[in-house]
Amino acid sequence: MDQLTHPTQLQEEEILNVLKQFITEVIGEEFVEDIDITPQSSFTKDLEMDSIEIVAFSEKVKAHFGKDIDFTGWLSNMDLDEIINLNLGDITKYIRSCL
Amino acid sequence: MPVVALPHTRLHVQEMNAGAPETVLLVHGMFTNLSIWYFNIAPLLAQHFHVVLYDLKGHGMSDKAGSGYGLQVMSEELLALMDTLQLDTVHLCGYSYGGLIALQTAIHHPERIKRLAVIESPDPQEQETMNIVDIYSKELLTHFVNGQPAGAGAPLGKRQLERRHRMYEFLLKESTIRQDMQQEQHFFEQAAITRIPHDTLLIYGSDSDCVPAGQALQEKISRASLLYVNGDHNIPVQSPFVIGEALQDFFVNGPVKNTTAAYVTDKADLNINLS
Repeated sequence: MDQLTHPTQLQEEEILNVLKQFITEVIGEEFVEDIDITPQSSFTKDLEMDSIEIVAFSEKVKAHFGKDIDFTGWLSNMDLDEIINLNLGDITKYIRSCL
Repeated sequence: MPVVALPHTRLHVQEMNAGAPETVLLVHGMFTNLSIWYFNIAPLLAQHFHVVLYDLKGHGMSDKAGSGYGLQVMSEELLALMDTLQLDTVHLCGYSYGGLIALQTAIHHPERIKRLAVIESPDPQEQETMNIVDIYSKELLTHFVNGQPAGAGAPLGKRQLERRHRMYEFLLKESTIRQDMQQEQHFFEQAAITRIPHDTLLIYGSDSDCVPAGQALQEKISRASLLYVNGDHNIPVQSPFVIGEALQDFFVNGPVKNTTAAYVTDKADLNINLS
């Protein structure tokens, strides 16, 4: 019988895989094929995401991880330069800390 | 992605704090998208209000549109969005061309608006200013896309370049956006502006070329206050927290008491503390 993984058991690697899937959905599979997505990947420099794509990504994070995390609230304390320079490792650590 | 279907277009809409009794509706400007509000200004307002932000058609993740970028049509779409979301009245805030859409709505449907905020809206008569706004908008996009201060000149990635190029090609060459904006050149001259009844907050960048437009609106709208914020036309990006707090204060408490003309009338007093 399959065993459900409780959100609190999520490890950073699992979270990162979820985030990679969201990025694929937002920017498209054909572009992701050419990119090595790692914890060091930043939104704009490495993933070439623009602001409206970061919005779409944020909404997916909120929808998936639910009210356990206040992702928009976390981002709202940063200015735009900080947000677009965030890397996936930062986001993974934040999500992990909330679960 | 939340999409609201209107009679002639489909708009990408985001909402925050949907349970709050009062709503703030945010309208971005030409060549940008709702992300100018999403990260800083909207969350601040959502501490008190239901906040609705949307991509104008042809922008962000809303449907493309070849025509219908004039103020009347854009205002009708704003009202249609309000109807669809069952919002009878809102506090309305627009940036740049979005501010003109807000003014148009305040003129023709004052009953749908509680308080009005206009950020950095140009006088469409000033073609030179409109061109500068256009240039600023492009720099703003570059800023967003690059993750660098506007004008820093960092190289764009191939996909970013292609996306940006596609948007400009479509809006400027295949749509009527330029002609539609030019049709509005007499907008500030109409007497109806002077009859706008709302408490109105005008926010302009101290170094912006649009400052004369803000001053003109302050003279025309009887219950208007003019607030200068350090920066230029890009103040929502340059000073999002100052703007967010100013809007929050205005929508919660109304205009500063004992002040009928302006928060700040002297450009020497620009470094104000709103808290």
